[in-house]
Order: sequence, then structure tokens, then C-alpha cells
Amino acid sequence: MIETVTLAQAGFPAAMHQVTLAHYLFISGAMFMLGLIGFLTRRNLIIMFLCTELMFQAAGVALVAFSRFHMNMTGQSFVIFIVTVAAAEAAMALALVVLLFRKRESLDAAEWQEMKG
Amino acid sequence: MDQVINPLALYGACALGALGVLLALPRRDGKNPQILGALLASLAGGIVLVAMGLKAGGMFGAGLSPSVYFYVFALMALGASLRVITHPRPVYAALYFVLSILATAGLFLILSAEFMAFALVIVYAGAILITYLFVIMLATQAPTEDLENALTEYDTAAREPVIATASGFVLLAVLSTLMFRGVGELPKAPAINGQALLAEMPRKIESALLAAGSLPSGAKVTFDASGDAKVDFAARTVEIKLADGGTQMVALPKDLSVTNTEMVGFNLLRDHPGSIEIAGVILLMAMLGAVVLSRKQVQLDEDAKERHAKLLAAEFTQGAETNP
Repeated sequence: MIETVTLAQAGFPAAMHQVTLAHYLFISGAMFMLGLIGFLTRRNLIIMFLCTELMFQAAGVALVAFSRFHMNMTGQSFVIFIVTVAAAEAAMALALVVLLFRKRESLDAAEWQEMKG
Repeated sequence: MDQVINPLALYGACALGALGVLLALPRRDGKNPQILGALLASLAGGIVLVAMGLKAGGMFGAGLSPSVYFYVFALMALGASLRVITHPRPVYAALYFVLSILATAGLFLILSAEFMAFALVIVYAGAILITYLFVIMLATQAPTEDLENALTEYDTAAREPVIATASGFVLLAVLSTLMFRGVGELPKAPAINGQALLAEMPRKIESALLAAGSLPSGAKVTFDASGDAKVDFAARTVEIKLADGGTQMVALPKDLSVTNTEMVGFNLLRDHPGSIEIAGVILLMAMLGAVVLSRKQVQLDEDAKERHAKLLAAEFTQGAETNP
């Protein structure tokens, strides 16, 4: 018997339904929203940057879910770039936080209010 | 949208969740109904998931609703994210962030993205979070003896909690309405021949044949002009070149298939080589920037100098009192 080999058998168990995709998209949206609320409400600079990482994470969930739905690897490849950007952002942000902390001895974002235009 | 969730359940859960997150956010006045808020928020998350699961299970048969592990990991991820944004102590917030990353890695495993799941744990939980913990410990005032567990004011008071929560949940409601309306119109996944990648890995085929013992001694898998193996996918056979120069078709081992890591690697290096170069440049510039920023000698502000001097003076007088 001749089997037709599709990507579904190569790396993925089976095709995914739109309703299942919607579940993952809701999780992604809810995580992004929590990160956004955290970024707006928290006043500690470190926690604010942690919340941006949370938002990156949510975008990654959506990308991987779409990659699974379309049976296409590009979504997963782009999560690698998300992680790259997150790592670069963490390095820069934390260097800035250390610099600001040494200057004012406080992590409060309101300490730097005079910088707003 | 009706095929995914009852709109009433979605909007009701959004309102309930907004109330819960609002109560769970840290507040100045000390009366902190954090547990009540967290319960309300997780109840709202549970309502949405249950409503979606019932709809998916009831309308199309149980096969459509995602596995029970999806619900476990989803609730873990959302609960941990809530704790990240509500916990007044930064170290605990960072540790809850690790938990939410582990739950997300679980979701990636369910989505059969094994490579990304483990890369996420290694890079995020292993590397980035350790950096965060280092900076949290470096950049916090040392606790004094009488106030060992003191929390700083900017950690215990949220800024504009009502507006932020309201706008966040309105965003979520609008976003999920649009997403749920849109997913119904997405095209079905095309049936691609995923095993075609196998032809580009003649060495892998060769070692699999060797391991299965179906490769005669001295034989090699033949390449075509572009370096691909000559695989007949319909019959699952591959052409090999015998030691005496003749060719022969050999059956592929039954369990030979393309793995997730190989697919990601091919996609990354063949389809996005430019992006990898740019990612490398981004990382290099971030490293240079971090070094330049943190090397700089910092002059203390007038305020900070004054605070520092007061602290030193207080310590001095205290020391003078205890040992005269």
C-alpha cells in the first residue's frame, strides 16, 4: 500500500482546527494584556522590563500556534528572532537600570519624570 | 465568533477579570485584597477556557477541543503572569516569570514545537532571568537591621491601576472578538510533502540505512546535480551506488522521518539567512551598548549625595552610642 506522506506525518501529529487555534490565540492575547497592564501600572523599572518580556512571550505563543496551524516552519523560526531581540533588550535595559540606580539610588520610574517632554 | 465562544461569556469574563486584576494589583493603603483579586481573575480565565472548551466539544464532537494539558498549561501561564505583575517583591516576580516561561514551553510542546520549547527554557529561564535576578539583587537598597522586610514605596503602590486595567481588558475584548471572528475564515492547512526535506539530507539517509543494515559494504547514497539524494517518496525507496558502480533502489527504514529541529534549521538557514546576520548584529550592538553604558563613571545627584551623607551620619552616631 502506498502512503502519501505529508507534513502532518513528518513533524506534526494532525491538522489543527480553527477553533483550537482560537484557544491559543486567546491565551496569547491574555498574556500580552497582562504584560501591558503590568508595564503601565508598576513603577519599578526592573519589573517594567520584565513585563515587556511577558509581551514578547505572548507574541511567541501566537507565532508558534500559527506555525502549527499552517504547517509552516516560519513561525517557529521567528520565535528565535523574538528571543534574540528579547535578549538584546534585556542586556541594554538592565545596563540602563544599573546606571540609573547608581545615579539616583532608586528604581522608581517617577524619579526620572523631568525627562518627559 | 459564535463558533468559538458565546460573546456574553467572553465580555462577562473580561469585566470580571478586570475587577480581579484591579483588586490584585499592589496598593498603597495596606488593605490589599490580593487573594480575592487573584481568585476573581483566575475565575474569569477559567470561565473563558471552559466556555470555549464546551463550545468546541459540544458543536463538533470532543475531538476539536484541545487536550487537557492545554488547559493546565494555559491556566499556569496566565496565573504566573498575573503574579508577575502583582507581586510586590521583584525577586518573586522574576521567579513567577520563570514559571510562566515553563508553562509556555509546555504549550509549545503540545504544538509540537519541541526545539523552541527547550530553547525557550534554556535561553529565557537559564540566561535572561539569571541576568534579571543579578540586577534585582545589585540594584536594591540593602535592608537595614530594624526593617529587614521593608518594601519600597514604588513597589507597593501601583500607578493609575484603574485606567490601565480598564484599557488592558478593553484591548483584550476587542482583540479576541476580532481574532475569533477571523479564525473561521482562515484557509485549511495545505498538504505539503514534508518528507521532501529528507532528500536534502543524504548523509542522514546513509547513516539510517547503515544502522538498519540494509546498505551493502562500499555502497553510497547517490546524489543528483544539486546534492540531493534520489528518493522515491511514493515507494519510500532511495537510489544507492554499489561498490562495483551499479545502482540499486533500497527501501528506507520505516521510522526515518524529518524531525522538528531539522525542519526549523532548514527553514532558518535556507529561507532566512539574512535575518540571522541581522540578529547577530543586533546581539553584538546590544553587547557593546551594555558595556559602554555600565562602564561609565557616575556622578551622584545632589539629592542622592545628601541622602547618602545622612545615612552615613546616622550610622556614625549609632556606632558612637553603642561603643563609646
